[in-house]
Amino acid sequence: MESSVSQIWPIGGGKGGTGKSFITGSLGFMLAKQGYKTLLIDVDLGAANLHTIAGVPNPSKCISDFINKEVATLGETVVPTPVPNLFLISGAMNNLDIANLAHEQKMKVLRGVAKLSYDYILLDLGAGTSFNTIDFFMISDEGIFVTTPEPTSIENIYRLIRSVYFRKVRQVLKTYAFKALADEAERRNPRATVSNPALLLQIVGELDPEKSVLLRQVLESFRFKLVLNQFRKQDNYNIGTLICKIIEKHLALRIRHIGNISFDDRVHNAVCKKRPFLELYPYTQTALDLMECCRMLLPGKEACPSFQKVVE
Amino acid sequence: MILQTRTMKPFTEQNYYEVLEVSPDELPLGIRLAYKKSFELYQENSIASYSFFSEEERQEILSRIEQAYLTLINPETRKEYDQSLIASGLLEEERTFRDRTKKPIAIYNFQKTLLDSPAAARRSGELKLRIEQNPVIRDLLARDILGGSDLQKLRTVLDVTLEAIAEKTNIRIDILRAIETENLDLFPPLVYLKGFLRSYIRYLGLDERVVLDAYLKKLGLH
Repeated sequence: MESSVSQIWPIGGGKGGTGKSFITGSLGFMLAKQGYKTLLIDVDLGAANLHTIAGVPNPSKCISDFINKEVATLGETVVPTPVPNLFLISGAMNNLDIANLAHEQKMKVLRGVAKLSYDYILLDLGAGTSFNTIDFFMISDEGIFVTTPEPTSIENIYRLIRSVYFRKVRQVLKTYAFKALADEAERRNPRATVSNPALLLQIVGELDPEKSVLLRQVLESFRFKLVLNQFRKQDNYNIGTLICKIIEKHLALRIRHIGNISFDDRVHNAVCKKRPFLELYPYTQTALDLMECCRMLLPGKEACPSFQKVVE
Repeated sequence: MILQTRTMKPFTEQNYYEVLEVSPDELPLGIRLAYKKSFELYQENSIASYSFFSEEERQEILSRIEQAYLTLINPETRKEYDQSLIASGLLEEERTFRDRTKKPIAIYNFQKTLLDSPAAARRSGELKLRIEQNPVIRDLLARDILGGSDLQKLRTVLDVTLEAIAEKTNIRIDILRAIETENLDLFPPLVYLKGFLRSYIRYLGLDERVVLDAYLKKLGLH
């Protein structure tokens, strides 16, 4: 397969039940409807259910076939969905021990994803901040965070974004240097330790100016997006913008609020029927919100270069 | 936002304008609003910043915001703070706030009235002198019927332009011309015509009763 120029959008959010799979499915549906060849990958390996939302209750192949070497390429695990142009790599029939992916297996999947050739590849990530989740999230700079306007969910967004941040710092500095850095930061400010990014960057700058420039470049290349899901009308409309502001101001990461998705009881109906919400209820506020989000994500709204991280 | 990210400094090293995210020439009202916004974002019950900061960090940020607000909202301390920023090269003098708000405008502009009146007095004094001395005017005023052309003659002898009359009396110049050429088609209703004539005659400094009567007699309107 030729080397791809796919746009990869990892969709994560820390907390479970915020609607990551629903939003992944809906975005995939809209992109496919617009004629883009779109692939959904369920990398919530231990608790996969994207296949149900995508309308493929019993997929014939799944991602563990590739991990267990039953097929040679990740491309062979792709199954079609009832929606034209929309494809799926499911995690439905995964082995029960798949949640604890070994490092080498994870790298294999990441390399496999990089070789796929689609217009858009959407990764549905699991809850939590395990290395697996974070590494899948960092496969591209275009990560999308999904949260609800509730403290529990926002808390986990911050947790996830900090984890991504420090994973990136660690990746750039390599483990040994990171340890030295963490010790130095701890020594200077025992209270904040390494959770204070400004201090961290300052210390890197002093210890290794060259690395510090590189680190800043890497951190600036992130183009995160934030979606507020299950938005009730009594919620503060600006909360998404405020979250982005905090992240930009105190973590120096670029993040853009791309919309609020209204809460709708009928999402439940659509999931129960195993049919796309947008197909069943296209004339609802929630559907309009989803379409607006999709429009905001597509290039033209902001210059998003179509490049992709090569996984080593 | 991107620019801000590039030049990001630790919160404690940001100057008060950066803390409140306002430009150095922001109005006091804007500073108040920015303070309110920042306070809401960082206060204890804020959902948006929930769990992002430790309690100490939050307190530190809040007290910094408070300090920024109290300094910038007071014109004296703000000036002092601006001066210190300018001295350390962090701010250019031109970018600081200057009070450009307009003060209330007086209903009567006494100064203007005072300046105007002597000139007007001087002018009418001059006209009076000319009226008394000029034989042509004396001759014309002695008549009991005056036509439009006579009015024009009076005006030209007194060296007053139609434009000047139009300007001062707010009467349209074509109406003034119609009066001098006795162009009845353009005449306004009689009430207005009388008013216009009075203004015209008064502007020339003539006796309005005499001249008005003589003109109306000529038109047969008297």
